[in-house]
Amino acid sequence: MIGWEAQTKVYATKRNTQLADFKSNVRSHTVGTTAVVYASDYLNKLTGERIERECKKQLDSGARALVIDFSDTELVNSIGISILLGIIDIAEKSGALVVFSDVNNETVQLFEMLGLTRHVVLAKDEEDALTTVSGNSKAMGH
Amino acid sequence: MSSSPDQVRRILGRVKRAEFVGRSAELERLISNALSAQAGRDAAGLLVLLAPLAGVSELLRQTYDELFNAQGDVAPIYFSLPASETTAVSAAIEFLNAFLAQYIAFRRNEPAIAQASLTINNLLELAPVADLDWIEELVNAYKKQRFSDNDRELVRFCFNAPRRVPATNPKPYILFDAVKLANYDNEQVSLASEIIRALAGSQSFVLAGLRREIIREVEGAGVDYGKLEKVRLEPLNEADARRLVASVARREGVSISDESRDLLAQQFEASPFLIGAMVQAAREKHLALDSYFDCERLYVDELLGGRLNHYFTSQLENVAPDPVDRRALIRVLSESLPAGQRTATFAAWTRRLNLEPVEVERILRSLHVQEIVNWDGETVDTQRGSSPWRDFVRSRFRLDALREPRALVVADLMSTALKRAPQAVARHYRRSASLPLRDVLQKFNFQRVPNVLFDYSAFAADFKGAPTEEVVAQLEIDQQTMKLPQVFHTAYAVAFSSELKQFDEESCVVAHAFAGAGYTDENEVVWLAAKIESKLEVETDVVEAWCNRLENLALRSGFLRIQLWLIANEGFSAEARERLRARGAYTSSRAQFELLSAQLSESVNKSTAAANDEFVFILPMGADNELLAAATAEQIARRLNFRPEAINQIKTAIVEACINASEHSLSPDQKIYQRFRVEDDKLVITISSRGILPANVEASTGASGAAKGTADDLDQRRGWGLKLIKTLMDEVEFERVDEGTSLRMVKYLRS
Repeated sequence: MIGWEAQTKVYATKRNTQLADFKSNVRSHTVGTTAVVYASDYLNKLTGERIERECKKQLDSGARALVIDFSDTELVNSIGISILLGIIDIAEKSGALVVFSDVNNETVQLFEMLGLTRHVVLAKDEEDALTTVSGNSKAMGH
Repeated sequence: MSSSPDQVRRILGRVKRAEFVGRSAELERLISNALSAQAGRDAAGLLVLLAPLAGVSELLRQTYDELFNAQGDVAPIYFSLPASETTAVSAAIEFLNAFLAQYIAFRRNEPAIAQASLTINNLLELAPVADLDWIEELVNAYKKQRFSDNDRELVRFCFNAPRRVPATNPKPYILFDAVKLANYDNEQVSLASEIIRALAGSQSFVLAGLRREIIREVEGAGVDYGKLEKVRLEPLNEADARRLVASVARREGVSISDESRDLLAQQFEASPFLIGAMVQAAREKHLALDSYFDCERLYVDELLGGRLNHYFTSQLENVAPDPVDRRALIRVLSESLPAGQRTATFAAWTRRLNLEPVEVERILRSLHVQEIVNWDGETVDTQRGSSPWRDFVRSRFRLDALREPRALVVADLMSTALKRAPQAVARHYRRSASLPLRDVLQKFNFQRVPNVLFDYSAFAADFKGAPTEEVVAQLEIDQQTMKLPQVFHTAYAVAFSSELKQFDEESCVVAHAFAGAGYTDENEVVWLAAKIESKLEVETDVVEAWCNRLENLALRSGFLRIQLWLIANEGFSAEARERLRARGAYTSSRAQFELLSAQLSESVNKSTAAANDEFVFILPMGADNELLAAATAEQIARRLNFRPEAINQIKTAIVEACINASEHSLSPDQKIYQRFRVEDDKLVITISSRGILPANVEASTGASGAAKGTADDLDQRRGWGLKLIKTLMDEVEFERVDEGTSLRMVKYLRS
């Protein structure tokens, strides 16, 4: 078993640059063992599944926290939300933290209506999200 | 193309255009159909479906005169099946003769020829040079055909004669009055089929006849009933009926008082034929109709020996030509007149008539066509029929079967008619002034109305003594609304329970309805509504009696789910209200009822007036097209100055509604239909699709309407769409549609 620091180094060497997955068209990058995934302007079934795939990939590659950034997202539908809940399930099983960043007020309301906010941390922006992850990691003793 | 009433030269019309009462819209329809047929614009033949005694011949004659006088490219041909001609062949020859005479009259613009009694050879001589060739050819062919032994061929030849008119000539437009078609039932050649096929071949015709007969015969002739235009002729309304009586009396030079005018309009149930017959009889006998007494004395004379007698007797003779059979029929009909004895089985009729089943079938079919009975093959339900018909049947029975002295029958009939006259007119005046309960119930069609209109206690507390304008204004912003059911059948309660005969027939109505979007057993409900006459608030004993009466009716009739609704002019006493609340009854005063009636009428008008503020879009399902719908809604919502947050809520709700429509409906056309309607203070959005009604929607159209909660599995999460919509919008409901779904969402500006 390797420690948090070591794990972070290995992971970082694999994915130390921002990359765009052209197949899924989901933008993401990693900061240490945290994967930042960017949601598109409309979160529906198709784009939700792309995010889901990207998140799984990141978790499989050793990510210990997921930040899903909604700064471009204007509209979210219920299927997209149900997929997000699926991502939260998967992350929980992997012991990974999930943070949603830069979510607009209307979308926050939807998340609240459907109970998502009980399972995720909301952050003002990506930076705030990374700080939250970092703080959480320390608190967990990693 | 319509000429002004004063300009129309009278040719076949029996009255001046200005005196032609109550059928202006129908006249326009017929003329428009004729012109479309001539122009070849998607014209189909037109059926005039007639309620018994509604009268059609003058409508056809007026149409004829309009078209004749226009001297355009439509040559009108009017033909009425003669009542006295007994064979299909003679009727067909008569048609050929009328066709030639009227076509030549039109071509020569000589109206006199249209009605002259002329032989075929005379007509040939009168044919204009331009038409001589084809008319001569037609006449020669007819002469050959006439002496063949094939009746069917001859009939067919005659009815198809208009098709021989050269294409460059004015096109014949046949106005065929087939009200007497039933008289030809015994023919070897099916006259109805031959007429209908010949007319359908020309696509340029009006066929008028009794509605039940025409529908059956058109379908029997193999003609596509759905493709034909239809005009339905009901009896005249009361105001037109009064105008008609006055107009006929003026024309015939018969003095008539206003009271007699109203009586005749009521007594003859607005039938142009019966009214005309009565007034003409008065003219012939040099009688004035200045009092009820004058009217009823003449009525009894006419019913037992005059025109009315002749009309009803011929009707019966056509149904049952054999005198013995006819006597038996009169007995059965007479015994079936009282309420409670109107329904019998086919077997019972066969036994009572003592005839072979095939003959009973023929009689019943004929009575069914005349709407004297309703016959479904097994059960025979004798209709009440018009008041003169009932008097005729009863008096014939007494005279023919019971052999009562004529003088006694006459005296009784006169006495009954005189006693009935003031009641009939009073009933009419009451009806005019009173609440049209049945009419209002018939308008129930899932509209939303303020709850307070059905709750007298709340209404009295909030609005008693308030000016009407203020009440109306308050109701407009009242958010406590209820959804009315969709009423699909109404009847006076006396049809279900003879106990209610003691009350005015129109005071109590049974309305069958569906209360939810789905046509399911659970949603079916029967409204039992009663109007209680009272000048004061109604007391407990009266409401208890009414509730018991209505609940007994429901029990006996097997109504599983009922809604009681009592209406009283001045409402109900406090104790009565409590009792009614305990029984779940709705309560309305006259004021509430009138407000409801006005709202329902408005909603009908609004639906047409709203067209200018309505946007309709159809989008293919899939490809994120819900975003287009959301963008459209955004634009419309911006115009209405919705707040940005509300606009986002609307957009999300629309996206969800579109997804629901796409995901669950198995839509055959893969389209989403969207309607955005802008109203004063709200945006009403309807998203619909064809296909099946999804189970989750079906469940949500019931009482609860709640969507699934935040359960964990994906299927359940898919139920979130509806929950979201309900949270985001102010009003959400599934409208009743025959297939698929139609989700109506409302967002108020204030929200």
